[in-house]
Amino acid sequence: MKRVLKRLLSMIPVLLGVMLLIFIMLRIIPGDPVSILLGEHYSQDTIDRLTKAMNLDKPLMQQFFSYVLGVLHGDLGVSYIMKRPVTDIILQAFPHTVKLAVMAALFAWVIGLLTGIVAAVTQNRPPDRIFMTLSLAGVSVPIFMVALALQYFLAFKVKLFPLTSDGSLKSMILPAIALGWNSAGSIARMTRSSLIEVMQSDYIDTARAKGLRRGAVIFGHALKNAMLPVITMMALQLSSMMSGAVITESVFSIPGIGRLATDAVQNRDMPLLQGTILFTTVIVILGNLLADFLYAVLDPRIRREA
Amino acid sequence: MMATEANVNINAEIGEKDGVKAKLRRLCRQNPLAVISAFVIVAVIILAACAPFLTPYREAQQDLLARLQKPSSAHIFGTDELGRDVFTRILYGARVSLVIGIIPPAISLVIGIVLGLAAGFFGGKVDYVIMRLADIMLSFPSLLLTMVLMYTMGRYANSIVCIFAALALAGWASVARVVRSQTLSLKEADYVEAARSIGVGKWKIMFRHILPNCIPSLIVLYTLNVPSCILSESTLSFLGIGVQPPAASWGLMVNQSKQFLFSMPWLALAPSVAIMIIVLAFNFLGDGLRDVLDPYLQTR
Amino acid sequence: MKIRSLLTTIMVSVLTAAAAVSVPADEGKVLKLAWSKDIQTMDVHRTTDNYAVPLSIFDRLLEVERKEDGSSELVNSIAKEYTVSEDGLTYSFTLRDDVYFSDGTQLTAEDVEATFTRMFALKDSVQTDFTTCIKGAQDLLDGKADKLAGLTVKDATHFDITLEEPFAGFLSVLATPTCCIMSKKNLEEAGDDFGMVPEKTIGSGPYMVKEWKTNDSLTLVRNPHSWKEPGNTPDEVVYKVYPEAASMNMAFQNGDIDILDCDFIDSSIVQSVYQTQYADKMVAVNRLGTYYITMNTQVKPMDDVRVRKALQMAINRQGILDAVFGGNGVLVDGIYPAGSIGYTEDNQGWLKYDPEGAKKLLAEAGYENGFELELAADSSASANRAAILQVFEQNLQEIGVKAHIENYDESGWLAKRKSGEMSSFTSPWTLDYNDPSNIIDTFFGSAESTKGRSINYEDTDVMARVAAARAITDEKERMAEYAALEKKIVEEDAAWIPLFSLQHQYVLSDRIEHFVPHWAGYSDFNVYGVTMK
Repeated sequence: MKRVLKRLLSMIPVLLGVMLLIFIMLRIIPGDPVSILLGEHYSQDTIDRLTKAMNLDKPLMQQFFSYVLGVLHGDLGVSYIMKRPVTDIILQAFPHTVKLAVMAALFAWVIGLLTGIVAAVTQNRPPDRIFMTLSLAGVSVPIFMVALALQYFLAFKVKLFPLTSDGSLKSMILPAIALGWNSAGSIARMTRSSLIEVMQSDYIDTARAKGLRRGAVIFGHALKNAMLPVITMMALQLSSMMSGAVITESVFSIPGIGRLATDAVQNRDMPLLQGTILFTTVIVILGNLLADFLYAVLDPRIRREA
Repeated sequence: MMATEANVNINAEIGEKDGVKAKLRRLCRQNPLAVISAFVIVAVIILAACAPFLTPYREAQQDLLARLQKPSSAHIFGTDELGRDVFTRILYGARVSLVIGIIPPAISLVIGIVLGLAAGFFGGKVDYVIMRLADIMLSFPSLLLTMVLMYTMGRYANSIVCIFAALALAGWASVARVVRSQTLSLKEADYVEAARSIGVGKWKIMFRHILPNCIPSLIVLYTLNVPSCILSESTLSFLGIGVQPPAASWGLMVNQSKQFLFSMPWLALAPSVAIMIIVLAFNFLGDGLRDVLDPYLQTR
Repeated sequence: MKIRSLLTTIMVSVLTAAAAVSVPADEGKVLKLAWSKDIQTMDVHRTTDNYAVPLSIFDRLLEVERKEDGSSELVNSIAKEYTVSEDGLTYSFTLRDDVYFSDGTQLTAEDVEATFTRMFALKDSVQTDFTTCIKGAQDLLDGKADKLAGLTVKDATHFDITLEEPFAGFLSVLATPTCCIMSKKNLEEAGDDFGMVPEKTIGSGPYMVKEWKTNDSLTLVRNPHSWKEPGNTPDEVVYKVYPEAASMNMAFQNGDIDILDCDFIDSSIVQSVYQTQYADKMVAVNRLGTYYITMNTQVKPMDDVRVRKALQMAINRQGILDAVFGGNGVLVDGIYPAGSIGYTEDNQGWLKYDPEGAKKLLAEAGYENGFELELAADSSASANRAAILQVFEQNLQEIGVKAHIENYDESGWLAKRKSGEMSSFTSPWTLDYNDPSNIIDTFFGSAESTKGRSINYEDTDVMARVAAARAITDEKERMAEYAALEKKIVEEDAAWIPLFSLQHQYVLSDRIEHFVPHWAGYSDFNVYGVTMK
């Protein structure tokens, strides 16, 4: 528990650092939201008037401190471009990202674990070779290729799924596979190597010497111990998926967090960008924490130490 | 954690006994795929280097009358929307993609080694500051970080230099973590203690005695970072913020041709397959190297 | 971040994910349209390009209607009739008395007054460029007044608008989205929610907004109080966002989109897929817009008119038009888009592709060995614009000019252009209203505007003439002056490289009965103009 508490405390400097980092970067990045808002239309009067109306003429330090003050009060500000409270915009987009992330993670976990276990059990025999080559191919393919290929073949050629997301569960299946693809590959590889390592250890030999069946040994003893690093990895993957998946969201037209953030960078929409980055950073940190926590709960050695 | 750190020590010792030749022999025997991959990588490098001799066309040479042609003897992969030879652009694009795969991880390796050694060796406040910095880098969405960096630097340097810097900055944190944890365990090793007792300087201990023991893990980490950088570049280009035309990179070529996926699939397929081959090759090689060099990283 | 609301969202979204059942849409005439990115607001005073929703949910005093022969004319809309005074300063309008907002209240002259007042009084209004000619507008903008002096309400259906000085294009301006008429009551009640919350954005147009899901979709339904006959127009309209052009392309072929705007799709796809397989489903309109390439006179050696003329001759415009745009357009040699008011054949045909002549001119100017030139690209712009620059780059290299493309992201690009330091770029300008002043004022109307476009045109006398031309009341004389200015600026001074005016193409689904593309430069159209089977 002390570990968890320590980690919680270490979140504070990280969050402050992230805020400062965004601030510094946006300070030196050329371009401003006013020109984006005006686009092709240009008149110095209009630009000056808008700059003033959006408080962009205030000194930068003042802008930053009033922002931090707002965040401390739970107010993430109002988007320059979308003119709505950033909190509302994020909370509207987040459910879509959660839906996608949960489904993608489930896909990655099921496929990754299954192939990983099969590969480990059949170590160095054909099924292992095939699955491991496939999983390496899984981590080697750019995600947009998976997304476009799935969309083209399964939704366009064979009309099994909707082309783009309409909010229904069925329309989320392809995006989930696309997003989960790479993760499935790494989970499979991790499960395999971890399981093989455990199966070579002494107590497994003992269990087998006692005459337990191979299946019982694998599922009763080895798997439980081998899952440790895998579960950590799963938690980390889920949190990184929750922080948005720009490409999957773009290809399948899902209004999630990832697109919000990239739009914000492109529009120089400072409040929205800071809001989304803070939000996703918190998610990632919480994911790390969860991973640590699971590790502590599951690993008898660490539990004893604590 | 304790158990794995102990492993490192044992490995370090085994590593010293096991000669380079023996390792290579083991690699060939255990993992022929890794060896084939190494040959593929070398072949791609040679092809990229000899590009001007392999094709009669220049990289950006347009022929507006020969646009979007099917593969033929004149253009073996066809031509793109401005009549440029796709095969030529694949060859030249290999240069960009390889350089982006190879240099940024090298930069992040250097940064990560220095900061990781310092954090592990000095501990205390130095460690705290460096590790929090690493935490910030790791929890900041890396795609956004890269985007913002690219926009920020866009006016000072060309897009390839920006990608270098952005990928390098995004990548050092994980290297630093690995180096730090190995430094922590090696710091207490007998021979380091011995060096310290006879008054060897801190930096000398770090670079002479601790760093060499980290090298196997670092080689593996580096080999595996290369494909992820190549993939990152293709992702950036897919979003239209990576390498910018008229320069060619494989990611950019996929981006420009993704719309032709149905009508002219060869345009998108050629660079996509190229990306897959090089990334797979580096992954296989990295995997193979890990098996022989560094069981410590096996579960990463 | 409020942790509790965050947790609730997670819970709710997981639950809805588990329980999601696709609801079948109830049949009716549902028009499905596509966008590449979501709109930012429905409030036309706060946007310069999100016109689709305002066009459909509001009415304007006048409308531009496109006739079957391709020409367009100004027709009355909620203004039943109008008269213009002798001096061209005062416009007297009579409103229809059967116009109702979607909340059932009647539209009166008071609403017109409230709309125009807000246009200038709203602190972050961006729609002021074309209408500051109304008397008292500047005072409102400067905060010196709280009423628009140039607008007098006489009774519920009669009002006058007075201008500072005569402006022949004013009636055309009134037909633009800028001048959508809003409800006074609604504006007062909604405050900042106007344009953001569907039920607080009330108009008198044929449609009203039912639902808006950010970055996802927007749904319009009929306004039951509209004065317009429904006919075969759609009962419901759904705009969906497709960020990936490849997905949008598949979605259309899959039947998920009824009208596909070819602007979103790469022109090679349009040529290879749509112009062959869907040829009878395509409609096109001459877009009142023109592509151009700039040459900044503040960047040496483009201060030399001979160099600028050489660059004009060096570019293979027909080659670009054919290669990049499939030949769907016409070359223009001046400022005004083909087919627009002010466009004249007299100023066409003089600019020929002549790389040899260009080399000679360069040598004359002392640059036989060429020079370095940066071409600034906006990396977020369409692939077509990137292609234009790539061909231009190659054309320049052929005459020995060492051109290279430098990429900026949109915001950085706009900022650099605004600074007046961008050496050369390409962009289209599409007319906001059909009058030569719209384009010539924007680029050559004042030292400030020509700097803001990084052209830095130097002749202040000519710019004074451009500014004065707006006020010429005799139409014939005004057009002659505009033609003379065009000749002087483009042909004699070589201030920019005119490229071409393009066709705006759309592909229709089988469900569409009739759709005449809008005359204007912008892509958005009023869905009331679409009829369905």
